Amino acid sequence: MLILTRKLNESIVIDGRITVKVVRIDGEVIKLGITAPADVPVHRQEVYEEIRQSNEAAATTRLGPVPKLSTPTAQPSGCAGTPSAGRNAAGQTLTWRSEPKTNANQTKPRIV
Amino acid sequence: MNSIARTETGNLLERNHCVVRLPLGLLGFERCKSFTLFARPEEEPFLWLQAVGNPKLAFLVMSPFIAVPDYLPAIPEEDAQFLGLEGPEDALIINIVTVRAGRQATINLKGPIVLNRRTLKAKQVIPLNASELSVAHPLPIRSR
Repeated sequence: MLILTRKLNESIVIDGRITVKVVRIDGEVIKLGITAPADVPVHRQEVYEEIRQSNEAAATTRLGPVPKLSTPTAQPSGCAGTPSAGRNAAGQTLTWRSEPKTNANQTKPRIV
Repeated sequence: MNSIARTETGNLLERNHCVVRLPLGLLGFERCKSFTLFARPEEEPFLWLQAVGNPKLAFLVMSPFIAVPDYLPAIPEEDAQFLGLEGPEDALIINIVTVRAGRQATINLKGPIVLNRRTLKAKQVIPLNASELSVAHPLPIRSR
């Protein structure tokens, strides 16, 4: 393992395209700002590991059998070409922070 | 500011299957970048995500909102940009299901797969509110 000493607001550069900057030091908590291209995933290790292990447990070599859900709200997914009115009662919802559009090639610091 | 919108669990699979591109793979499966997403009517509401070129690698998935109607993953802006999502209505969310011994099953709410329903580009996203979301939320399974 390469070990480097950095002070507040100092950075390291990885592969000429990834920058990791110390943006705050507060006791035992250090905030890092990471600037990387969009095709470089950046994750907290413990969250990455949790989801990786879940994916590995879910991976299967054969298709089925699948369990039957007992939820009364279970509805057709609509993915079998059977459109029906009212399906959006269980419609999809998501949210994200709305920010001004930036150049797709531009990389932004991610505070982790 | 948060923008919230609802979209239908739409007719993504009009021919019962489609090929989804995951340029970054799934976490732990980074090398598999292309999956076939397909449904078999008798298995609804589940779908299958099967690696293209490797039929021995498949994941059971489903719309999370069937099991958790108030599921609200906060998708990071950079992920929305990566997927080319211009608004929440462009996105379709599916989550991986783990079938466990004893006829139990859980759904991973912490690592949703977000698809651009226009381009079929997808990414397994870690939402901003991941710490509030379960990696193994129990599904209600019907006992026979």
